[in-house]
Amino acid sequence: MLRSPRVVQLLAVAIAMCVGWRAAAADIHAAARGLLAARCNGCHGADSQESHLRLDSRAGLLLGGDFGPAIVPGKGARSELVRRISTTNPEEQMPPAGERFLPEEVAAIAAWIDAGAPWPGSDDASAAGGRDPRLEHWAWQPIAHPAVPERVVSFAVIAGVEAERNAIDFFIRAKLAEKGLSPSPAADRRTLIRRLCFDLTGLPPAPEDIEAFVADQDPLAYERLVDRLLASPRYGERWARHWLDVVHYGDTHGYDKDKPRPNAWPYRDYVIRALNVDKPYARFIEEQIAGDVLFAATQDGQEAIGFIAAGPWDYIGHVEVPETKTDGKIARHLDRDDMVANAAGTFASVTIHCAQCHHHKFDPITQDDYYAFQAVFAAIDREDRTYSVDPELMRRHAALDARKQSLEDRRKEVEKRIAKAAGPRLADLDKRIAEAATLTDGNPGPAYGYHSGIAAAADVVKWVQVDLGGERAIQEIVLHPCHDTFNDIGAGFGFPVRYRVEVASDPEFGSGVTTVASLVDADVSNPGTKPQAHSAGGTGRYVRVTATKLAARKDDFIFALAELQVRGTDGTNLAADAVVTGLDSIEGPPRWARRNLVDGESPAEFFDREKLLRKERESLVSEAVDPELVSELDDLRRQIVAAEAERKSLPPLSIVYAATTRKRGGKPRPIHVLARGNVLAPTHEAAAGALTAVTTLPARFDLPPDHAEGDRRAALARWLADPRNPLTWRSIVNRVWHYHFGRGIVATPSDFGRMGSAPTHPELLDWLAAGFRDGGGSLKNLHKLIVTSATYRQASGSADGRAAIDSGNEYLWRQNRRKLEAEAIRDAVLVAAGTLDLTMGGPGWQDFKIEHPEHSPHYRYDLADPADRATWRRSVYRFVVRSQTQPFMTCLDCADPSMRVERRNESISALQALALLNNGFMMVQARQFAERVVQDAGGDPAAQVRRAFELGLGRDPAPDEAAALGEVADVHGLANVCRVILNLNEFAFVD
Amino acid sequence: MTNTVPWRASTSSALTRREWLARYGGGLGGTALAAMLAGDRDAAAAAAGTVSHPARIHPPKVKRVVQLFMAGAASHIDLWDYKPALVKHHGQPSDFGEPVEAFQNGLGPWLRPIWGFEPCGQSGKMLAAPVAALGDVVDRIAFIHNMVSTSGVHSAATLLQTTGFVLPGFPGSGCWVSYALGSLNDNLPTFVVLPDHRGYGSNGVKNWDAGFLPSQYSGTVVQPAADEPLADLRPHSAGSFVTGSSDAAARDLIGRLNRRHMEDRVGDSRLEARIQSYELAAKMQMAAPEALGLDGEPEHVLRLYGIDRSRGHWPSQINAEEETHHFGLRCLAARRLLERGVRFVQVWSGNDNGFPRRNWDSHEDVERDHGPLAIGMARGTAALIKDLEQRGLLDDTLVLWTTEFGRMPSSQGGKGRDHNPFVFTNWLCGGGIKGGIVHGESDRWGYKPLDRDRPTTVHDVHATMLRLLGIEHTKLTWRNNGIDRRLTDVHGHVIDAILS
Repeated sequence: MLRSPRVVQLLAVAIAMCVGWRAAAADIHAAARGLLAARCNGCHGADSQESHLRLDSRAGLLLGGDFGPAIVPGKGARSELVRRISTTNPEEQMPPAGERFLPEEVAAIAAWIDAGAPWPGSDDASAAGGRDPRLEHWAWQPIAHPAVPERVVSFAVIAGVEAERNAIDFFIRAKLAEKGLSPSPAADRRTLIRRLCFDLTGLPPAPEDIEAFVADQDPLAYERLVDRLLASPRYGERWARHWLDVVHYGDTHGYDKDKPRPNAWPYRDYVIRALNVDKPYARFIEEQIAGDVLFAATQDGQEAIGFIAAGPWDYIGHVEVPETKTDGKIARHLDRDDMVANAAGTFASVTIHCAQCHHHKFDPITQDDYYAFQAVFAAIDREDRTYSVDPELMRRHAALDARKQSLEDRRKEVEKRIAKAAGPRLADLDKRIAEAATLTDGNPGPAYGYHSGIAAAADVVKWVQVDLGGERAIQEIVLHPCHDTFNDIGAGFGFPVRYRVEVASDPEFGSGVTTVASLVDADVSNPGTKPQAHSAGGTGRYVRVTATKLAARKDDFIFALAELQVRGTDGTNLAADAVVTGLDSIEGPPRWARRNLVDGESPAEFFDREKLLRKERESLVSEAVDPELVSELDDLRRQIVAAEAERKSLPPLSIVYAATTRKRGGKPRPIHVLARGNVLAPTHEAAAGALTAVTTLPARFDLPPDHAEGDRRAALARWLADPRNPLTWRSIVNRVWHYHFGRGIVATPSDFGRMGSAPTHPELLDWLAAGFRDGGGSLKNLHKLIVTSATYRQASGSADGRAAIDSGNEYLWRQNRRKLEAEAIRDAVLVAAGTLDLTMGGPGWQDFKIEHPEHSPHYRYDLADPADRATWRRSVYRFVVRSQTQPFMTCLDCADPSMRVERRNESISALQALALLNNGFMMVQARQFAERVVQDAGGDPAAQVRRAFELGLGRDPAPDEAAALGEVADVHGLANVCRVILNLNEFAFVD
Repeated sequence: MTNTVPWRASTSSALTRREWLARYGGGLGGTALAAMLAGDRDAAAAAAGTVSHPARIHPPKVKRVVQLFMAGAASHIDLWDYKPALVKHHGQPSDFGEPVEAFQNGLGPWLRPIWGFEPCGQSGKMLAAPVAALGDVVDRIAFIHNMVSTSGVHSAATLLQTTGFVLPGFPGSGCWVSYALGSLNDNLPTFVVLPDHRGYGSNGVKNWDAGFLPSQYSGTVVQPAADEPLADLRPHSAGSFVTGSSDAAARDLIGRLNRRHMEDRVGDSRLEARIQSYELAAKMQMAAPEALGLDGEPEHVLRLYGIDRSRGHWPSQINAEEETHHFGLRCLAARRLLERGVRFVQVWSGNDNGFPRRNWDSHEDVERDHGPLAIGMARGTAALIKDLEQRGLLDDTLVLWTTEFGRMPSSQGGKGRDHNPFVFTNWLCGGGIKGGIVHGESDRWGYKPLDRDRPTTVHDVHATMLRLLGIEHTKLTWRNNGIDRRLTDVHGHVIDAILS
């Protein structure tokens, strides 16, 4: 809103006077506009719009660019424009190079903005009016129901080209004709079955299946094959791997201290199961975003939200840095960012994460949209989640939980009444007991005791002694063991396994030594924190404890004592504050020091203290409180214990690494829109929601103020799965298309924005999306439709004249020859060798050994045995490590589990050749392959070569091929022939 | 393809990245393909009659890079950045004049540099005793004392230094260089990583793997002292059926059968590329053992690097002799690889975080850990620089010394120092670098940059490195998930002041 002209003038003049700029307001305004034109329009004008910003009109200033509006009329000091021309931060300052604005120039521009940024011939309405032209982009349009195009008659006469088999072919051929291209002949059956098997199951066909299919006279043989493959459990395993690429699933956290997630696999198995049962896609979405809310009583509902937790997680940023510190805030912000990017990218194919610091540069996605999406996940942490696959068991657990809760509530009430009756003394006692109780697993203070140097072996002799200051009569010597949770040792930490106690007048213990106790011939059992008293008698100045067999700590050995008491005849401790010497000491005060041996503190002393307090409390309660209340409390306690016991007697709940709301107690963290994505610059709070650019659906979820955390995710799940959402349905059919052809109709399956690719066949995309959505979201039906099309069944053949028009085969004038992915190569090797173990599900197999698991695990692939049969399972069941990716698979362009991978890279390198030639896995399998061939083919060398060839490549060798291989077999043995076959281009590519 | 965003106007006639990729992706002839496979962009471009990557618009000053990375955060104030104020105020309560958020509890009293500093070289640059070995070459070094990080967490900060991003999944700087420039050889990897002999640093391979770039640009791990220095270079021991002659016969047969297979699959360059990849693999098998073997190195060279091959056992405590030996081995391997045309070598000092300390993360005792590590690092590094120089290689090699952040000028537990992401030191040396200078100072304590508005970031260092290689950092991009990603993200300014 404009201020009144009078105010404007006064204000401008006042500012002008302040900076000594003697001119009228109108002149200042003109000067300000002139400065913008002269200094800014080169990059932010008609010819160039860096950061999508135009400063050559008032509308442009108000609309702003990637960093939001350039000005706030009336608020010069708060306008981004003024900030940018006055900052000294080289990252932000404008202009980025060349002459800076002078202070008086900045002041003039600020004054002009303060005055409402008047612009001749302009008013606010023109700036705000009009729809964002970026909303015209194809992806935001509702899904159309395009008509299937007419047949291209001329294609019917091309030799070998099949007639159209379904609507896909009409769409594809219409586009081919438009581009001056033509379809290719159908592939032969041998090619088709190999293509189909790898595509649908990730495994090669058995030679027998190939021969049967080639010979099958049934006109529906191909359809039957498709049905058989889609019904195979191998289908779910194959396509789950694609899905796990997209959602960046892994079995470790990633980052530094990359710890294993031993319970991540139930989510992986969920995906396999969901695909195999052909779960409707809408349900598949809803379960992964909010299964725990919408389908809480089902295994799938509980395990599917492993999706939210699938990505990497920074252990240090979350565990070692609290949420209150900046680094902790950043870690949690980035953690939610990963959830947002995963949900939006996977299901909606939008790059919403680009709107974290500013509005999306290319798409109509605002920063508010981004933080609305973050708010959906505001209560979520990633951790193990307990659940049961048996609804009855879950019910019983829940019932016991509820019963225990009500007992606890009643108990609290009774305790309150007791407290009231007993008065403040009880509260004080309880406080002291509680203080003591929290420390019973530790020590009374920071000083633990004496701790020797660390030895590599148990039989190293160590000693410690006290100087009593003079000859003293000694009655008893008491050794107090230590308590330290290090390596979960706890009570009796460092207490010697064998030892002796001696008294002498010679500090060196060279002569006149009296042995008080000698426990050196057999191991003593660990006493916990119980003091060990040895009666003495006699006199001496020095008391020495010698450990002859040290206590195990962790791969090493030590000797530690909390306190050494030397009782005189009158019972006083003669060793209090005595001088302590020892063979060695790690001296790490305050915890470990020689002097701690005689400081009067030990865990034992401390336990006694708590015992006394409890006794005192008992007598107080019995004096002051109604005995009925006391007995009710006892009764309640018994019932609580019983409920706990009953719960323990139930079969335990299952665990999945997934989203949980435990840490926040289901309470969402407040999410603010962060200026420039900076966690230290929060602005207004964001309400949960999704994308404003999807105009067919409300962009903010209309949730009541007291809504539960799960309501947000349920709302997002419904928003994504809504039939009116144009993104979801195109996204999934395009992904499926991408895997069948090696290229999506949109070549960027996770980015439908303007920086992504445009669809090559927009009508086909919509036709598929609408049909898939309206037909119940069956992925298997979609697969069948695609793979039974004539388009899919084309030969891949050779490049010809058509390549000059469409070298990348974007319009599918032939099928694409596919290089097998890492998993398909590895699984095909196991199939050829006859060693593939088809056991499904469960914890991932590991082809590494873990070193330093306690701190920062090292995953040593080089220490694993490639002949370990436990690793001969399908690759989808591999335990996927993030920080140290599997070298063989990574070399073959396996998906990086730290990244959301929409399509695999396809590289060819010498290192790949070395891996396939020499890796231990390949060597072991080549040998297995050869053994299998001998079993199958018997002793005839020619038959062996033929069998190896057909197992590896699915066809008989030509005579020259057989001869060449036979020669190698003769000279170097069959295993070398098998090694050759596994390295051939024909093995690695599918026509 | 809808692309409403124009490519920035290029100052030369170079192709856009997309056009460049399109040309490379299309059917190249055999020679060009072989060159491309070997990663040699120049040869490939020459053979195919095309031009090199469109980001290569500057005259290159260097051809190769060796990066030395100190894992765990090396202390700038105890090694390079002398702070007399800390000597003067040693033991007094620290006062930063503002609230400080320490990673642990590192805001104890001011702690003076652990070692004495002496002026070195013509420039008189003050160096601490453990790194005094670098005094001989200090006049060729440009120090940057006002580096800042955005994270005080090892994992994120290490990724930031190695990839330019705090999240995993982005290509290492060596990957970008490989992608832009390719190899200088046809028988060794383009980008080699020499990890600490104890294991990888924070984030493991994520510091050097290719991320969204094709895997061929990934760093290849070489362990010079290991039995198997390069993975899969030789047949695994399970493959005892493979002999020298069976290997040769197999390779020959693979080539023949692959060519036969290709006959009715015309125009698929991948098939030819894969055939050539096997030929290249054979060359690599010949070249790598020679490149990594030290048998040919004379005794005086081994001495220069501090390598002691007579030692079989080392004490269990961290010690200078052992650090010197192992770091020297890596530096000598680096020189041999650079000499043979490896484009980018990354040498690590320090393992990830663990106990006892195996890296530069000296929370408990700077002297105990930094001492031996620094002595070993300085000896090997000085030897590498001198050796490159005497072979005439230093003039077109960039040596870059980095770490993820610095350490606090206040003490932690008496003898240790906490993380300092607010300021730390990098240095550069070699071709195109103005030696004997300091660019960007830290404040009197070594706590933050002296000029807090003008710090130096890793993006600036990366931009400078790419400029020296002839690459414009804003043009070296790869489209991933909707964004044209750069090594320098949306940041980075070339540090002109350190360029000669």
